[in-house]
Amino acid sequence: MHMAVRLVIERVRRVPLALFAAFYTVVTGGPLVWVAMMSLRTTAEIFRDPYGFPSPAHWEKFADAWTKSNYGTYFWNSTIVVVVAVALVTAVGAMAAHCLARYAFRGSRIVRFVILTGLILPPQLVILAMFQILLDVNLYNTLTGLILVYVATHIAMTVYILEGFFAQIPQDLFDAARMDGYSDFEIFWRVTMPIGAPAIFTTVTLNFIVLWNEFLFAVVLLTDDDKRTLPLGLMHFTGSHQLDVGMAATGLMIAMLPIIVIYAFFSETMIKGMTAGAVR
Amino acid sequence: MQDVTFTVADGEFMVLLGPSGCGKSTVLRMIAGLEPITSGTVSIDGQVVNQVPAKSRDMAMVFQSYALYPHMTVYDNLAFGLHRRDIEKAEVARRVHAAAGKLELTGLLQRKPHALSGGQRQRVAVGRAIVRDPKVFLFDEPLSNLDAALRVSTRNELIKQQQEIGTTSIYVTHDQVEAMTMGDRICIMNQGRVVQIGRPLDVYKNPADTFVSRFLGNPPMNLLHGRIGKRGDRSVAHLASGDLGLPMRTASALGRHDAGEVIVGIRPEDVYEFVPPGDPTRFEYLPVRVEAVEPLGAETLLMVSLDGSDAEMIARIGRDTALRRGDRLPLALDTAAIHLFDPATTRAIA
Repeated sequence: MHMAVRLVIERVRRVPLALFAAFYTVVTGGPLVWVAMMSLRTTAEIFRDPYGFPSPAHWEKFADAWTKSNYGTYFWNSTIVVVVAVALVTAVGAMAAHCLARYAFRGSRIVRFVILTGLILPPQLVILAMFQILLDVNLYNTLTGLILVYVATHIAMTVYILEGFFAQIPQDLFDAARMDGYSDFEIFWRVTMPIGAPAIFTTVTLNFIVLWNEFLFAVVLLTDDDKRTLPLGLMHFTGSHQLDVGMAATGLMIAMLPIIVIYAFFSETMIKGMTAGAVR
Repeated sequence: MQDVTFTVADGEFMVLLGPSGCGKSTVLRMIAGLEPITSGTVSIDGQVVNQVPAKSRDMAMVFQSYALYPHMTVYDNLAFGLHRRDIEKAEVARRVHAAAGKLELTGLLQRKPHALSGGQRQRVAVGRAIVRDPKVFLFDEPLSNLDAALRVSTRNELIKQQQEIGTTSIYVTHDQVEAMTMGDRICIMNQGRVVQIGRPLDVYKNPADTFVSRFLGNPPMNLLHGRIGKRGDRSVAHLASGDLGLPMRTASALGRHDAGEVIVGIRPEDVYEFVPPGDPTRFEYLPVRVEAVEPLGAETLLMVSLDGSDAEMIARIGRDTALRRGDRLPLALDTAAIHLFDPATTRAIA
């Protein structure tokens, strides 16, 4: 009897929470479902009934987008740029974070300050300078140039997150590895990196999502159509004179897919990385 | 860190003992090569090693936190230091299994540290040092994270291990029981200095100053302030509640010590409710008032105040005492066990 009453009370208490969760899901998931439905309908169908169900489902639109609208190229460009940039920013950022977290070297505070000022500079502020520098070094309108800009602009956040995490790794582990005969770089590679994996997954995921969607630098620093990344490709369907809503939705779905996969893959480690306190 | 000098003999178990913050861990880390040395030298086998990096000193360290790599299995934790030394795989496996067998870790080799109990982690940490077969073991308070019961059994286990292996060991602790039971010798440190070095019982019986006298022993030695005087041809200390005859052996030292003020030290176990059989002239009596009685089972602790003052003293007496708070009685002090200290320097007199 007592148990049953308590159970009911417990359930009633959860109602507001469940309501809020449901509301939140509708607000965030609703537009996603809507775009997903639109991606399988033609623009004409959409204008006739904006919230209609895709019947028949036009799966061929994905093939059209991929081939006719140059989406294959954009997707490939985005993949190269983002994968290389994330790999570089992770490698460089992790090494920098390890040094800042572990060694009290002369000028370390200044180095940290300079790197972290990158956090407060808005991209609009540096974009002209980036443009000029890339012109000077003949990297304007190249994927290499864009990669370098992405690394430079995302190193600050990466170092910030990783240093905070690395600093919590007990010093004893490093001392033990030193006694065991390992060099500074080996300690970074065999102790810091594996133990810091949750934090590294976090930065990889964050950087991947942000760079995959990055528009401002890409639109300024790339001009050739066959060098464009996905966010620029989406512009095709939303030109100034016409709006092909149906194809735009299809393009959006293609662009979103890798992010959803990455997030599904890393979300658990990412949440662990963001909430994990000390390393036990 | 000032004027820290000591030598550890081959195969000896040296304990660095002191309160937290006294610098004992820093000394250990300097020996290990983890901490730079600004002046002075550290030598191993006669070679100065100040400039030799930690990895080349052939020492293994057991850390207070155990410092187990959380992402590696017990096996990999044990083998990590061997991999670096270009030892053949088969030999690594042999050594790891040998150490695991000795430390009862064989069934746990594939576990990660987070799946081990505190005692098991501690054994892995010790095993990691053993497999290396180093010249010197360094222990940095390796038992302080264990609960009391486990600490006792692990302590005995460590003593056994060390006696079997016979490797030179330096062991840092703030626990006087560990120091007394484990060390061939103890090096007591306070405020960055070495205060006294010696075999455990020698140090216990002949503390070099009031710090050592109170740091070793639980409850600590009673220290009573007094003035030196004469009773006939015998030296006495005028204490708050009466005179205390001093042993003859202190006479010559007292002759050199002319200040007049003195601190009389006596351990709680040398204070008696009833004079034990034997030579009754060894005992002197002090009138006291019982402030508290703490029966501990095997024995009873008596907190008393010296009559006519607020000076307090602790006596360790038999468990079957009938004394109650407020009782007044003369307590017997074994004068052969009295220590005298100079109040100005706190150093022992004699």
